[in-house]
Amino acid sequence: MTRVSRRKYNVQVLTIMAVYVALMLLEWPLVGKTHELALRTALALLPAVPVVVVIALMARRVMRGDELEQRMYLIALSVATGAVSVISVVGGFLVLARVWHVGGEILFWIFPMLCFIYSIAWIFAVRRTTGVWNFWGC
Amino acid sequence: MKNRVRELREAHGWSQGVLAEHLDVSRQTVNAIENGKYDPSLPLAFKLARLFRQRIESMFEPDEGR
Repeated sequence: MTRVSRRKYNVQVLTIMAVYVALMLLEWPLVGKTHELALRTALALLPAVPVVVVIALMARRVMRGDELEQRMYLIALSVATGAVSVISVVGGFLVLARVWHVGGEILFWIFPMLCFIYSIAWIFAVRRTTGVWNFWGC
Repeated sequence: MKNRVRELREAHGWSQGVLAEHLDVSRQTVNAIENGKYDPSLPLAFKLARLFRQRIESMFEPDEGR
């Protein structure tokens, strides 16, 4: 399998995320004004499509990475998954105990939080493995 | 693990990027191998040995005391 070039990957992800932002700005306001259930559901789920595409691109990049890249992706993903799991469990218990009052909207933050922690963990994994600070490759 | 990858690459007049292309890995991986930060898998080590027409044991040597 051919490796995915960093530049191509970054352009693809940025393009799709631009589509996501455009959808949120242009299409999302229509959700509240739509009363027909099927259409409302479709409009509500539409912004999830670019997110799924970005996740597929990430998966493709990991699968086509070389052995060291895959190792660093795995380390970063493990750290991010562990951190998000702990935060979710702690948050869940606090909500159940009615110490922390949040709605379902908090679920929106899981994916961005996962991406953020993954990026930081990846930068440190690369630094530890190669001795180089690389802020743009993850 | 000590290795002679940098020495052999330079003898061929190749940059890390060129070697990375030959091996189908990232330049970062070549750099990590050369600096002894990462020990390649057996398939990658064999690929390197074949590329430089060397025996694998002449390219890689365990560190003393490890």
